[in-house]
Formats: sequence, C-alpha cells, structure tokens
Amino acid sequence: MSDTRITEAARASFDACLAAADEDAAIELAVGLVARGVSAQDVLLHLVAPAQVRVGERWESGEWTVAQEHAATHVSRRTVDEVASAARGTARPPAGGAGARGRVLVACSDGEWHVLPARILTEVLRLHGFDVRSLGGSVSPQGMLSDVHQNGPDVVALSCTLPWNLPLAYRQIEICRWAGVPVIAGGPGFGPAGTWAYALGADLYAADARGAAEALLQRWPPVLRGESSVQADAVEAYATLVRQRPGLLEHLASALRDVCPDLRGRSGTEQEEGTGFLGRLLDSLAAAVFVDDEGVFTRHLAFVRTYLAARSADSRCLLALVDALTDRLHGSPRALDKLAGGRRFLVGQEDDSGRPG
Amino acid sequence: MVQVGRAQGAWAALAGERGRSAFLEEAAQRLGASLHHGRTARTLVEIATPKLADVSVVVLPASGRRTDWYRAGPGDARSSGEVAVELLEEVPEVANALYGLQPRPGVVSAEQLDALDGLLPAELVQGGEPLVAQLAAGGVPAGVLIMLRGPERDRFDDADIELAHRFAVRAGLALATAALYSQQAHTIAVLQDSMAPEPLPSADGLRLGAAYRPAAEALHISGDFYHVAPSPEGGVTFFFGDVSGKGAEAAVLAGHLRQSMRTLAMVAKGSEPLRDLRLLNDLVLSDGHRFATLVTGSACPRDDGSVKVEIAGGGHLSPLALRGDGRVEEIPCEGTLVGAVPDPSFGRTECLLAPGELILFYSDGVTEARGGASGWEIYGDERLVDALASCTDMPAASVAERLELLTTEWLAGRPHDDISLLTLQAPPRRGGEVPPRLPAAAGRCPLGPGAA
Repeated sequence: MSDTRITEAARASFDACLAAADEDAAIELAVGLVARGVSAQDVLLHLVAPAQVRVGERWESGEWTVAQEHAATHVSRRTVDEVASAARGTARPPAGGAGARGRVLVACSDGEWHVLPARILTEVLRLHGFDVRSLGGSVSPQGMLSDVHQNGPDVVALSCTLPWNLPLAYRQIEICRWAGVPVIAGGPGFGPAGTWAYALGADLYAADARGAAEALLQRWPPVLRGESSVQADAVEAYATLVRQRPGLLEHLASALRDVCPDLRGRSGTEQEEGTGFLGRLLDSLAAAVFVDDEGVFTRHLAFVRTYLAARSADSRCLLALVDALTDRLHGSPRALDKLAGGRRFLVGQEDDSGRPG
Repeated sequence: MVQVGRAQGAWAALAGERGRSAFLEEAAQRLGASLHHGRTARTLVEIATPKLADVSVVVLPASGRRTDWYRAGPGDARSSGEVAVELLEEVPEVANALYGLQPRPGVVSAEQLDALDGLLPAELVQGGEPLVAQLAAGGVPAGVLIMLRGPERDRFDDADIELAHRFAVRAGLALATAALYSQQAHTIAVLQDSMAPEPLPSADGLRLGAAYRPAAEALHISGDFYHVAPSPEGGVTFFFGDVSGKGAEAAVLAGHLRQSMRTLAMVAKGSEPLRDLRLLNDLVLSDGHRFATLVTGSACPRDDGSVKVEIAGGGHLSPLALRGDGRVEEIPCEGTLVGAVPDPSFGRTECLLAPGELILFYSDGVTEARGGASGWEIYGDERLVDALASCTDMPAASVAERLELLTTEWLAGRPHDDISLLTLQAPPRRGGEVPPRLPAAAGRCPLGPGAA
C-alpha cells in the first residue's frame, strides 16, 4: 500500500521474529518504526495485523503447531502493547473524561478467544482520541451486562472471529440494545460485509480497526438503528440442537470411528483437536440455523477441509459426517436445510477437485 | 353531517389516545432497561424526540457548581456537556424543576432561555415556546427536561402538555433509579478494583502469566487471589490462594489475606514463608467459619538461565511443572488448610526450572469445572495435565490463557467456581540453542533494510 512506509523487507523481518517467537526483536523492530516516524496506526494495521493473519494461515495449513501459533500470537500482542505505549509517549491523545472524544467498550464475543483484533482496535481507537475500555477475550453476557450499566459506554465494539459464536454474540448485542447502547460489530465471524452482524441487529459494521475508527468518527455519537432479523422459529430450532448436542456428538464420534478410523487413532492433543472439531461442526450448524444462512455452515466446512487436507487426513469423511447428522435430524427442517446446503457444497467441491490425491 | 363529524372526532381522539399510550409504554420499556445514569438521560431525550419535541434537553440534578446535560435533535443530532448551575437558576421554571418545585410542565418564552445558550443554541430556539418539565421520583428531584418545537410545528397544546407530564413522571422514576444504581455501582467498582489481582510485574530472567475468571462474572470478585511482586534480590515473590466458598463473603476474606501477605512482606526482612503461613492461620481462625488454601514462595533466576522456585503451602493443590521434554510433573507441597486448626503443619519444597520450563499454580475451579459432552463430567487432573503438556514451547502468558480457554470451552457457558491460574517460566534459551520444533531460521531477526 502506498499510504504506509512499511516495506516488504520489514514485514519479512517481523514474520521471522514471530516464527522465532523472538519478543524482544519484534518489539525493537515495531517500536523502531514508530520512532522513525511511521504512524503507530500503520504499524498496527500494516505490520502486526497482516503478520498475524499469516500466523493463522500457517497453523491452518499445518506448517505450524498450536504451540508455535500461540507463541507467535503472544509476541504480536506484546508488540501491540509496546507500540501503543511508544505512541502515547510521542503524542498524547486526550485522556479519559471530558476531553475524550467519547467512550467505547471493546469486547470479544462470548466464546471468542481471538483477542488480538480487539487489542488492535482498542489501540487504534485510543490513537484517535477515544476513551476505550477493553474487556478482553470471551466476555460473558453477565460481564457485558454489568459493565455496560456500570460504565455507560457510548458504543460497544464487538469482535467475532469465528462464526459459530454468532448465537452468543446475539445475546450480547441484545444486552446492549436493551441498555440503549449501540453496537459496532467487526471481524470475519460476522460474515462477508458484515451480513450476519446486521442480521443479529448490530447498528454498524466495520471490516477492520481503521474502518471502525472511521465509521465512529464520521457519525458520533452512533445511534440505535439496527434491527435483528433472527426469527423465533430459528431460535427454537437452534435451542433444540443445543439440547441434543451430547447425543449428536456421540453419534458423530461413532460415525467418525466407522468411516475415518485414521482420525481417531492419534494420541494426545491431536485426538483432543479431533473430538473438538466435531463440536465445532455442530456449533457451526447450530449457528447457521440461528442466523438462517447455510453460508455459516459451508464456510466452516471449507475451513475443515483445508485443515484436514493439510494434516493428510481424508477430508471426504466430512461428507459422511454431514450424512450422519442428516440421519439424526429428520425432525428439524431448518437443520436439514443447512445440512443439504453443506452437502451440495462438499459434493461440488469434490467435483471441482476430483483428482485422486 | 354533524353526526358524522362527531364520530370522526371520536375516532381521531381514540386513535390519538392509543398512540399516546403506545408511546408511553415504549418509553417505560426503553427507560427501564437502562441502569447507567448518563445512558438513561441520553435514552430519555432520544425517546422525547421527535414525538414530543424537535429538540429535547435533559439537565441532571446538580451535585456541585456545574451539572451535565444531554441533547437530542434536531433529527439525528446528539450532544452533551456541562452547564453552570447559576445559569440554570436564571430561568425560574428551570430552577423550580431542578429543585422539584414544578409539579406540572410549564411553557416559557424563548427569550427566557437566552442564558442557556450553551445547551440550547439560539438558532434552535427560534421563537417557539419551549416546555419545561420536572423529572422527579417520589419527591426527589431527578432532573429537568426542556423541549423545543421548530417554527413549522404546532405549539404545545393542553394534550401535548398532559402527554409530556405523563412521560416526565415515568422518565423521572427511571432516571432516579439509574442515579441510585450508578452510585452503588461506583462503590462496588472501587471495591472490585481493590480486590482484583494487580497486573503482573515484569521481571528480568522470568516470564509470568495469569488468568482470573471469577464465578460471579457480573461482579468480578472472587475467593481466589494471587499476587506477584518483584523482589529486591532479583526475581519475584508470589502467593496464590483460594478461600472456601465464593462470592462477596469469600472475596472479603481473600482481600484480608492479600493485604496481610503484603504487609508481612513489608515488615519482614527476607522471606519466611512458614512464619507467614502460621500468622495467616491465626488470622483466618479468628475471622470465623471460613478457611483458605495458600501457596507462597519466590522465584529467582540464576546465572545459567534456570529459575529456582521455593514454595511453602497450606492445603493448596500441588503445582505442576512442565518440563523441557514435555513431561508434566507434580511438585508435591503438602500442608494443612490455613485457618482450619490452631496448630497447623505446612509443607515446604523447592524445584528448579531449566530454560523454557514452567510451573503452574491453579485453583480447584479449573479441575472441578463441570462440562464436556454430557455437561456433568469434571474436567479433572488428567485433562489439565494433558492440556499443560500441549503447551510445550509456549510463553507463560499464552499457557495461562490457553488453559483458561480449554477450561471455559469445557464449561461451554455453564456456571463455574472461581478459576485462577498463575504461570512462572524460565525464558527459553536463544541464539545457539534453538528450541526444538521451531524453524531453523530462528534466532535474532535482522532489521530489514527497508525498516530504516
């Protein structure tokens, strides 16, 4: 991008720091850029954020272990802290209180542990003069409720990376709406162009931290305008799936044993990841039912395919799992509808890449 | 003709009354949902605009020489600020309403509001006849609502004033409730801050991590407590404990223990963990029915990059060490509960962490978390050990966070006991010895030429 002075070489160096989990060097590099006059926002948005996206990709593709991903993420997070404090050292934005532009509460949706996007948003908004309170990862509805009433933010910025958290995010959005506080949603969990954010009744959506800052600056204070399109039938169907979860999980696990024994025969963490993935599959289906969009489910299927393929596991077993669920969910037309969508997606994919491999 | 006209008039009156009832019902619902004082004030003016007026301003009761105001309108415009009380007092109707002496809304002349130019700019007032309503609850003043209509709109008639009155009664009640809640919430927030664990210090030659998830998530107070302080001799001293029970009662005792430990650290020369534990035992015994578990100790980096950890414990779960080869080892530290018997015996032990190795302290909220596929299974020691083993090569902060993540995923939103985790780690070696499983290109990364 032309609006930044962060070169490819600097990016490559930063990637190397993350790969080596070298906190000191990463901070030295990033803070050095700020000291040389690159804006802290550019460092956060054009150095740290893209590097972190690559971290996710390297984990997804199997290049990195969970441990490496966590170590790298930790370095990114420490870098955000240090860049922010370096920026505060050079130019002091208005502190909290009357001088501040307004009060923003930044929170991750319930169940959401990808905290880095929320951390970056927090700092970017602070750089723009907002008084920001940050609640961190996986904020419970109770925590959200009491914080909103205690601190009375002008707006709540809700971050969601994984779409299966959407039903939980809905509860948080409802809490804010009832308290009269508008919500700006952000993160890939809310779907392409924030479709699912608006479906849940969010008032604003921003694709990234810069977009969020711009949206808030443009129209301050934000007002309640969102309207949820979540249907009562969908919530009921979702609740049924949640109730049936233990039984469905067992059913899926036995289907998996029959069809893809190679996924079960592993030890330790990989097996835990293996069984965790069944839960995610169910949660994604449930979330798709909740927002009434099969895209939530198919997107997850696409991710799992990549993930399994990268670990040389047979991703064709996904189809068997979808069929196993279809067998069990005859009573729920809404779930069947999403499963059919998932099946179409998987079959289509196989046709596309029908080569043996 | 007259008959028809009358019927139409009756229909119109009925429709009007229905509209007003619906408006008041919605207003009561929206106002009742907010407990934050400022937010309630903002909601209040947003509801009043445009149904009652084109521009509405609420002024909150004065607690000093200045007070807050919030404005909505015209259209989507929103604003807020502060105004001097003496300016408000220049307008008799406003002053009366502010002190709860204006039982019915009163119309004032536009010129009278000139003094309030700060909250009502002259271009908004524009010759209309503003309406001033008192907001109060049970005789206690809760604020003033000032409503303006633009020149193209009818002036306030009797029906409008009656509706404004009925709205102001509801709004006053909501505002007074929110004011009370905000005062209490502030008190609680101050207490919470004093009870919450302090941020971890940074210490040379040592990496630290922690996670803290109270059972009472809304209150964010807990019977779990921990504290890490830099030690003048290098490294850190720390303690980690858990008061029986949960909620406010447990949190108060946890707060006592935390303060006492810190006081002991200030008066003592050198650390004497067993003496500290005995003193605390007496304190908790005299305090009443509860007891606590506690581990206290120090972590000291050594020249070779390893860290020596000394701990003394009273009834707490033994910490776990994550070794370099991925093994998880229990570091037994037996001892009686703190505050259970007058003559306790406490355990003492030490362990050495090689570079990259880590020790984990945790509260029973972690291992006793109920969840899983059935929703009732206990998370248990074995899962925790496996989870910790999966954290090889991670920095201390990430380990604490990952274990918290795995526990909360296990819980899947179900209620839980207080959950706390503390990790201390000897930093891994850098340079010549690259930790296993990391890419060979690791090590200090060069500053790219383009970075200059």
